[in-house]
Amino acid sequence: MGRHIIGAVSDFPAGSRNIVVLEERSIGVFNVNGTYYALKNSCPHQGAPLCVGTVTGMTLPSAPGEYLYAREGEIVRCPWHGWEFDITSGKSIFDPHKCLVKTYDVTVEAEESAGVETYPVTVDSGRIVVHL
Amino acid sequence: MEQHRDLKFSPKITRTGIIDCDVHPYPKNAGEIRSYLKQPWRERYNGGGRGFYGNPVHGDRLDARPPQGGPSGSDPELLRKQLVEEYGYAYAILMPRAFCNLHPDPDFGNAIAAAYNDWLADTWLSKYNHDGVFKGSITVNPQDPAAAAREIERWAGHPHFVQVMTDSGARAPFGQRQYYPIYEACEKFGLPFAIHPGTDGMGINVQPSPGYPTHYIEWHTCLSLGFQAHLVSFLTEGVFERFPGFKIVLVEGGVSWLAPLMWRLDAEYKALRYEVPWLKRKPSGYLRDHVRITSQPLERPDNDQHLLQIFDMMDAEHILMFSSDYPHWDFDSPTRAFPKLDESLRHRIFFENAREFYKL
Repeated sequence: MGRHIIGAVSDFPAGSRNIVVLEERSIGVFNVNGTYYALKNSCPHQGAPLCVGTVTGMTLPSAPGEYLYAREGEIVRCPWHGWEFDITSGKSIFDPHKCLVKTYDVTVEAEESAGVETYPVTVDSGRIVVHL
Repeated sequence: MEQHRDLKFSPKITRTGIIDCDVHPYPKNAGEIRSYLKQPWRERYNGGGRGFYGNPVHGDRLDARPPQGGPSGSDPELLRKQLVEEYGYAYAILMPRAFCNLHPDPDFGNAIAAAYNDWLADTWLSKYNHDGVFKGSITVNPQDPAAAAREIERWAGHPHFVQVMTDSGARAPFGQRQYYPIYEACEKFGLPFAIHPGTDGMGINVQPSPGYPTHYIEWHTCLSLGFQAHLVSFLTEGVFERFPGFKIVLVEGGVSWLAPLMWRLDAEYKALRYEVPWLKRKPSGYLRDHVRITSQPLERPDNDQHLLQIFDMMDAEHILMFSSDYPHWDFDSPTRAFPKLDESLRHRIFFENAREFYKL
């Protein structure tokens, strides 16, 4: 279980997607509406770099002939075969129980400034930390 | 054949690795093809495509798009990196996407086919082919069989063209006699005839399904129906009796349907041989000598054993050849698309069947 600081909050604005390599693993870090998610950058299907795929929305389950488009920015599509994955859970849309990608915890932590009196900090000055 | 004499013939090299039987090279832009067209076609050609049934998600691997721009499959260095080097290829069989056989005007279709052949010969088969890893397909327009035969003759003897190709979209099944000038030329020059999906139901071609399906998912799934109809036509029309040296390869048309279709056809033959008395064997008996089928997009039932049983039923050991379809969206990875195979079967599917078929 490694703890890896990958950068400042300001480097990961809402809607951003960054690929980082931690412990020799390629990982996609997404900011979806202010919440951070990290997914292994390898599709469970044929090993494509999943996290470089299109970040998009999806057609929700609906009645025949009805289109309900939603979840804009919460879905990543594999760049090879187009399989949809829920960025917030790592689960595929077509079979969430059997087809899923590994997720990692992401936290925002205040910058350490040991030795001096500390004050409450805002998230804006924090560091993004991925926990493997 | 005059023009091929100045090409360097490299000494026969024994290669090992993978032979990929369906790789798509693209021109960097429509202008590249246009430069090989004479007027009035030059000013009329806009790059083509099939018009409808585009993939609603993406039609190509997003990571195959060259960073400097241009379509996927247009940068030989990126293609080499992502395929040839990544997986250790011995050869990549190139299948350009000319979409020439959907035009109502056969002269236009013939001109596009010829321009693609000139382009491929100048670029991927020579300028980009220092190591000879690329082998090409002669694009023909089967709507005009006599012209297609002349186009084959124009390229016969070229060291890197290894087959003739067309899209599966057609107005009549490919076993019918109007196409025979093409097969005669293929047989004469020892070139297999490859059929690849793409123009089914587009332009002047009919759909393999009853009418126009609504969605891409339907159209794409049902592409294998056209291949089934073409294969039954080749077999029952006696094409392989008429042209004993003629061979075909069904590219990207599906795999798992083959055995049950042959069971059905062989069963019919027991009574209906009467109708097709020129057949000297039961229909399935022609496959090993005359027909090959490429793997992508390989069907993957949940149980791997089921697929392995299908391989056994269809004589995959002798007729199945690996293909990836790079750089298209349904690319099959050489290392991930198949379940674990016995080494001897793997070697035949990924290398030996194609080496024999293309005499590489």
